[in-house]
Amino acid sequence: MDDKSTLESMYLGGTITRRQLLMGIGMLAAGASIASVLAACGTSSGPIGGGTPKRGGNFRLGVTGGGAKDMMDGQNIITKPDQARLVTAFETLLIYNEQYELKTDGLAESVTQDAPDKWTVRLRQGIEWHNGKTLNADDVVYSFQRMLDPKNGLFGNAGLSSIDPNNIQKMDERTVRLNLKQADSTIGEQLGQYYNGMVPVGYKRFDSATGPSGQIGTGPYKLQSFTPGQQSVHVRNPNYWRSGQPYFDQVTVIDFTDPTAQANALLGGQVDAITDIPFAQVDVVKAHSGLAVLESPGGGWLPLCMAIDIPPFSDNRVRQAFRLIVDRQAFVTQVLSGHGRIANDLYAPFDACFASDLPQRHQDLQQAKSLLASAGFAGATFDLHTTDGAAGMVDSANIFAQQAKGAGITVNVHNDPNYYGDNYLKLGFSVDFWGTRAYLPQVGNGSVPGAPYNECHWPPSDSNYIQLYHSALAETDQAKRCQIVHDMQKLEYDKGGYIIPFFNNLVDAYSTKVSGFVPSKGTLNLTSFGHGFRTVWFG
Amino acid sequence: MASGPSGSASATVERLTPGGPAAQARPTSAPAVSPIWGFIGRRILLGALVLFLVSIVVFFATQALGDPARAILGRSATPASLAALREQLHLNRPLVEQYLTWLGGLLHGDAGNSLAAQEPVTKLIADHVVNSAFLVLIAGAISIPLSILIGSYAALRRDKAFDVAMSLSTLVFAALPEFVVGIMLVVLFATTVLHVLPGVSIIPPGGKPWDDPTALVLPVLTLVLAVTPYVARIMRASMIEVLESDYVEMARLKGLPERVVITRHALPNALGPTFQVIALNLAYLAGGIIVVEYVFNYGGIGSELRDAVYNHDLPVIQALAMLIAGLYVVLNLLADVATILVTPKLRTRL
Repeated sequence: MDDKSTLESMYLGGTITRRQLLMGIGMLAAGASIASVLAACGTSSGPIGGGTPKRGGNFRLGVTGGGAKDMMDGQNIITKPDQARLVTAFETLLIYNEQYELKTDGLAESVTQDAPDKWTVRLRQGIEWHNGKTLNADDVVYSFQRMLDPKNGLFGNAGLSSIDPNNIQKMDERTVRLNLKQADSTIGEQLGQYYNGMVPVGYKRFDSATGPSGQIGTGPYKLQSFTPGQQSVHVRNPNYWRSGQPYFDQVTVIDFTDPTAQANALLGGQVDAITDIPFAQVDVVKAHSGLAVLESPGGGWLPLCMAIDIPPFSDNRVRQAFRLIVDRQAFVTQVLSGHGRIANDLYAPFDACFASDLPQRHQDLQQAKSLLASAGFAGATFDLHTTDGAAGMVDSANIFAQQAKGAGITVNVHNDPNYYGDNYLKLGFSVDFWGTRAYLPQVGNGSVPGAPYNECHWPPSDSNYIQLYHSALAETDQAKRCQIVHDMQKLEYDKGGYIIPFFNNLVDAYSTKVSGFVPSKGTLNLTSFGHGFRTVWFG
Repeated sequence: MASGPSGSASATVERLTPGGPAAQARPTSAPAVSPIWGFIGRRILLGALVLFLVSIVVFFATQALGDPARAILGRSATPASLAALREQLHLNRPLVEQYLTWLGGLLHGDAGNSLAAQEPVTKLIADHVVNSAFLVLIAGAISIPLSILIGSYAALRRDKAFDVAMSLSTLVFAALPEFVVGIMLVVLFATTVLHVLPGVSIIPPGGKPWDDPTALVLPVLTLVLAVTPYVARIMRASMIEVLESDYVEMARLKGLPERVVITRHALPNALGPTFQVIALNLAYLAGGIIVVEYVFNYGGIGSELRDAVYNHDLPVIQALAMLIAGLYVVLNLLADVATILVTPKLRTRL
């Protein structure tokens, strides 16, 4: 059977969708192999060459980006290893699947929006904590109150801030009513974020004095030991509520300081999977018979942000000119070595309401020049601020400066190690980084007054964007909400301060001894770390 | 231990007297307390002064790294959380007061609390110090005798095949940065060519580096290849100089067997300058080990220091900097003492 008919039979058998079939055939025509096509199509119906899951083994994961400030908290993260550790033990009420669709597949049997400002959570029956107690409404109330207390400084605090912490009602043993301070249709999306985990009454973050016994979750693995900056060991939870899962006896998460050492550990068989392999290593790993690369279409983005109230960026012609300066494909090639997709100055690509109908912006230096000239900035000099906050931030600034020469202007790049200091959010033109979010939660984080990181000072005072935002939050009908969200995106597309050149892929690698990893859309690496290492096994 | 060096010193004196320039020395006129102790005492006091000055430099230089509270909180910093963290870390007190508190604590073996890990620094770095010390010791124990042997032999075989080969290969390894050597070894033995040794050293928390000796082979080999060339070349040069000296010629003319000429007369005199280089190299290892630990993900003070700098974790940086400075002082003291013990000319000037 040739590759094309393989795809067709998968389509007929329901393994892949029509869209994936067409996309796959197109890719085959372009010379890709069947495995890479299937990988790129993101088939979610099961692992490629997976077979039946088997029990056993110690799965060792290598992660970079950690250090002495690593922590374990069911509702907070600072470093990337924190993410991997959190999902072993803690679970959320709702879950995002591999297509970034929100599913009622978590701890909640149902989550409903009864009124624009009222949500009801009903728990599944009989889910046990690691200590044998049953998950109940008191735990849910405690979990929300803990996240909503700003003093705790938890990651999900801003996104949940519309919930009234003093009016979380326990209706019965398994039901909790969330009363909001104002209408908010994004609460369901927040409940699917991995960092908004459920913790038992009285829960506290890991500290070395109490040791691992305090890390009680409902997740597939129990914490056995944890040394920040070095490694953690997680053992199988025998009473896990999803039957059969998890498959490993033990999961070991190992911190690496250097990505090359991390790749060497994988090549030498000392770990079974690693996150974020250096792009230069991708071909080395692919050439290795026992290893595979997992490329997932992430929704992470590195915007260049123009503050719309700081001259010269208060003039929309300058903003439009800057957006037309960008050769997006060159960004993907030079910053990501091709491991990404071009973007259209809009964020939240996986949102069901994403405005994919707005025309793709391309580089147009003539148009950019004439816009700059009409605004009175022909041949002017601009400052662009950046830092080594996330990989690619400095490269992005330099590439933009390079491309700007084509429009006859000079862009001076300032690489400031104390970028996230007192001047952050007050700069005219700067680079930043963001992960994957749905549209409205992202707006709440970075595009309205009062959002913690409104770096572009959006929206303009004469627009109805804020009204649209509030009506979208109050709208419970999905189709109507999408219409409002579309209008909001149109405003940002026409007048916004963001230049978004690309969305980056997550490029991980694993030993082919491991089955179950599939490309997934989302924030976390390695299929959301195998959804807490419960959907992966040694084949 | 205390009587060891001085005992062997006087023995050396007796042995050397008939041979070299030491004949002019006055070993019999030595006072009851060997002058070497006075010298050591003075050097210890001097070392303490150096460390005190270093502590001032380290403390105030690390302040230039920027606000640790902001570095820890990163983008998630809010004015309220910043103020709370600064209060908690005593960052709002005057610098001089912070310095005196820190120095006082240091003298009592308390290096403060890590800002990032919120644990005592001593507890945090203890395992890493053991790991690094072990790596340096093993590397030193192998490379020092090896380089003395290679250097001496090359000097004896001057301009013969062994000497030429040694000169060339040590030049190559001395020119290569250790991370290049490390990566080459990994490619050769762990990932690409052969798969016989682990490419990274994963020491589980609470574990010791010697629990898995195979994981030590490549880091140790890298360090040995980094240090041996320098020491061997100095040893060779020093040995050649000694072999051409009058007293070695005298010993030969006296009809002493060549073996005795070399081991009793040439080697001890050639070791003097070499000790200085060994001490400098060992001290360099303690600091330069950072790169090797990075390549092999070895959990030592190098990786600790890098992480601390990244987090602006001042107490950890300061403690490690003081530790490395202390090591320099101690190794230099040892090298000077050893040099004096093998060099009669210097000893008599005490």
